[in-house]
Amino acid sequence: MEDNHNPVYKDDAYGKSRELSYNYLEGGNFERTVGFHGEADRVVLQQAWDLFRERIEDARQRVLAGKASPVVYYMEKNLLDPLNLSMMAGMSVWRVKWHMRPGVFKRLKNKTLQKYADAFNITPDQLMKIE
Amino acid sequence: MAATNTIINFTHRQAGHCESGATSNLYKFNGLDISEPMAFGIGNGLYFSYIPFLKIQFAPMISFRNLPNMVFKRSTTYLGIDATVVKKVKDPKEAMEMLDSNLEKGIPTGCQVGVFQLTFFPPEYRMHYNMHNLVVFGKEGNMYHVSDTVMETPQLITYEDLLRVRYAKGAFAPQGKMYWINHRIDKPVDLKPAIIMGIKKTVYEMIGIPFPLIGVKGLRWMARDLKKWPAKHGNDTASFYLGQILRMAEDFGTGGAGFRYIYGAFLKEAGELFGNHEGLLEASEMMGRTANKWREFTYMGARNCKNRSKPEEDYGTLSEKLLEIAADEQKVYEKLKKLRF
Repeated sequence: MEDNHNPVYKDDAYGKSRELSYNYLEGGNFERTVGFHGEADRVVLQQAWDLFRERIEDARQRVLAGKASPVVYYMEKNLLDPLNLSMMAGMSVWRVKWHMRPGVFKRLKNKTLQKYADAFNITPDQLMKIE
Repeated sequence: MAATNTIINFTHRQAGHCESGATSNLYKFNGLDISEPMAFGIGNGLYFSYIPFLKIQFAPMISFRNLPNMVFKRSTTYLGIDATVVKKVKDPKEAMEMLDSNLEKGIPTGCQVGVFQLTFFPPEYRMHYNMHNLVVFGKEGNMYHVSDTVMETPQLITYEDLLRVRYAKGAFAPQGKMYWINHRIDKPVDLKPAIIMGIKKTVYEMIGIPFPLIGVKGLRWMARDLKKWPAKHGNDTASFYLGQILRMAEDFGTGGAGFRYIYGAFLKEAGELFGNHEGLLEASEMMGRTANKWREFTYMGARNCKNRSKPEEDYGTLSEKLLEIAADEQKVYEKLKKLRF
């Protein structure tokens, strides 16, 4: 059963996966419908991704300008903040923040780079440069 | 890694809430036909907490669900079903071997996973959210068959990807947690005591806990904070924080607003089981109406998020709406508390 109230966005991910949802009808009945995501979902999801993309682009510019290390770019790309990144890479927050300086990043040992690469699910070579 | 091919005859049913869906599917496989709302209600799926000082994805943490694995654990305890929960496996390889040996024995196994690296999810939905659940029910070479109740059909995932999502890091890390039901359920199970225990626990969690950030009190606290956000953080950030509430209320499975519908459906089902118990049916209707108000709130909020810098709806109005919802919910729980069965 398709949901007629919600517009269908065939091009985006919202239009590809259908979800089951429950609804309440006056008179005490609950119904189960399978439908696409509604307008409200789409707006808030779009809003979040606008912010994430903005942050990623901003980080990319800063790394290209030599003001930050690639760790910052990959952190933003993986939607992380320093605290979460520290948990993923198994280092302290202060150390992660320290590594965000380009000068410090250049002198990192292979072992540390490997930790970051594992956290971001890429190879150490990819970590050294950004696209 | 032994190259075994086993596919268990497991029925995939789509559900609104990932964990209660997985739980109800596991019961169904083992011969106990429990619907998703029933598993949700008995296992205390309903919950609310607002933790403003913890940030998730750059916005305050809001949770509409209980701690991971609660639904399965509580429902098995209340129903008196023999089940195993492995909380934590240190070595990822060992965790995968345990999963494989379970599959060989013919036991479909539920796993807690992180969403961010889940390959079959649409990319827009991949955020750092570690409380997702799925059931692994088959293996073919390097590929695993998984039943994710959010998706319409069973999905395939590779060994490496499954290992990665099972060991996703961050807040509430899964650490290889898995759970399964040990034996087939042959004896008929009496649902009534379990339902009563489930309702009591939910009522306690929503209005009884003496801490201001959990349950209805937390909802009120959030409503009051919501009013202050534009002055405190500026329109853009306030809109993003509001978006976080709405994302939690609408996305990630059915989301918090949808959980109210599921709980209402549970109360209705329970009422019918108790021989058309008037109080329960009435509570179910009240819950349904509250859920409709939640949906209105999300639509109002979404309009606000659309024009970020010039919000259409005043944040005061939204806050009042939330307070109204909180008052309504409080009435439902007070009613449930007084019920006699």
